[in-house]
Amino acid sequence: MSETGANPAAEPPPVLLLIPARTYRATDFLTAAGRMGLDLVVGSDGALPLGGHPVVHVSPGDVDGSVGRILACGKRFSAVVAADTPMLVLAAMVAERMGLPHNPVQAVSAAADKAEQRRLWAAAPVAQPAFRIVPAGASEDSLRRAAEQAGFPCVVKAVSLSASQGILRADRPDAVVAAARRIQRVLAAAGRPADEPLLVEEYVPGPELSIDGLLTSGGLTVTALFDKPCAPGGPTFEETVLTTPSRLPGPVQAEAIATAGRAARALGLTHGPIHAELRIGQRDGRPWPVMLELAARSIGGLCSRTLRFADGRSLEELVLANALGRPVPRPRAARPAGVLMIPVPRRGILRAVEGRSDATAIPGITGMTITIPAGQRVQPLPDGDRYLGFIFAKGGTCDDVEKSLGTAHAQLRIVIE
Amino acid sequence: MTGLAAKAAAALERSILPSVIARGGALRVVAVEDGVATMEVTGSPGAVLPLATRIEAQVRAAVPEITAVRITAPGRQPPPGEAGSLAEQARHILDTEVNPAIAAHHGHVALEGVDHGLVRIRLEGGCQGCSLAEVTVRQGIEPLLRARMPGLAGVADVTDHEAGTQPFFTAEKR
Repeated sequence: MSETGANPAAEPPPVLLLIPARTYRATDFLTAAGRMGLDLVVGSDGALPLGGHPVVHVSPGDVDGSVGRILACGKRFSAVVAADTPMLVLAAMVAERMGLPHNPVQAVSAAADKAEQRRLWAAAPVAQPAFRIVPAGASEDSLRRAAEQAGFPCVVKAVSLSASQGILRADRPDAVVAAARRIQRVLAAAGRPADEPLLVEEYVPGPELSIDGLLTSGGLTVTALFDKPCAPGGPTFEETVLTTPSRLPGPVQAEAIATAGRAARALGLTHGPIHAELRIGQRDGRPWPVMLELAARSIGGLCSRTLRFADGRSLEELVLANALGRPVPRPRAARPAGVLMIPVPRRGILRAVEGRSDATAIPGITGMTITIPAGQRVQPLPDGDRYLGFIFAKGGTCDDVEKSLGTAHAQLRIVIE
Repeated sequence: MTGLAAKAAAALERSILPSVIARGGALRVVAVEDGVATMEVTGSPGAVLPLATRIEAQVRAAVPEITAVRITAPGRQPPPGEAGSLAEQARHILDTEVNPAIAAHHGHVALEGVDHGLVRIRLEGGCQGCSLAEVTVRQGIEPLLRARMPGLAGVADVTDHEAGTQPFFTAEKR
């Protein structure tokens, strides 16, 4: 057995990787699988079969049919992994049918619904903002009343969207109604059901952080803590800069990790990656970590590229190893690193992102990727669901990293017409 | 025709073949070997190739023993023999087996060159900047070339994906 838990003499384990068509995560998972020498089969709603290794056509909108097609392959997989959110339920269902370690389907579904998360965390209980769930057809009075009960300022959220899409802060009763109406338009544009409720919750001021980890039989191994030093106070909530390791005091980090672990268990999650987002509020004069959201996947976008583990392994390699039942190494003290997700500054047609050479020449910058092609229509939050790209940095301290990222971002001239 | 090939043909007949014929094409099962069903397009390839994913899904659902479907065009020459250079072999496979399939996503793969057994390819059109480009290369093109070209060391994608203006799929942060 090697240090990675793999047996070099054994046949490569067959792994089913479910890749949605519109994901940033395909390349990193495929690279990880290649490094690990896995016998990979891809299930996707977009990839074309080209001979060689098969691609199984699956669709998140047809879970039963997709499960049937996967089982019809007749291949006995050692693990099933969803590369991104749209494939999580399908992955859990396939793993269940094949008798592999997996999260309960109900738990995965609960983690994808912000209202259900709040209900389960309230029942547990897990520390979280005060909240009210408002039905889709609620009157303006009901919306205002829900906000008053949650307390002002409050945050109005779509329950099914992610990446800060469909989230607005409201400081007054009339602003709550306006925010709700705008979010309902975002939901309609995203093709969500008309009966989807909204979440109205207390706005918690304070530092924000995200926690990535891997669950094994319900036990959480933390893989990364990211500070969000530019966490906005609203009205929209772009995630821009993430830096790791966290600069929060050790006891606060420990309490945040414990809170995230309780939150995952309260949802019923037991196996695989989690990505939790918390704010550190104040209660009785003490730091009080509260859960904002938790997803049953690893960190999104290209952000995992800031992380490297023992032997140069990526987060995706750890996710795949965890799915195969291999041990997850404890994270080592890593050099400070960070990522800046380049926000869309305004609505229009993206014509160019200029100044890229100047940006990548800033000391500490290790890479930059623009992920929206020129010529495409873009829109900022809360309506949009994409970032222009990602800037990566390393440095001697997280302050250095943050400074490098900010300086590099300032070099960019984003041309939108 | 073997039993599996007959089953695949029957599955085609009762599912997607009417759509193919209505679009001006036709499709027949040539053989099934090692779980791979080879089908030949006649008429308009454009009537078949956009349906490639559905064809494979429906045939595989109906005949579980079939694990992959390969669609070929008529008049396709057999793969070049060992006398052909690696570049010629690679270009032939890309032109006859890869490009007709990925045309369904408005994509195209060009051969940039072959050095020391490493095939360098450039993705164009819908493949350039596509969020699934890596899947196409690593799970499609590379295994296909490796299977046909024993001397191949690997495949390198030299595409400037950031410069792509018409990717078939673009990524969203979820």
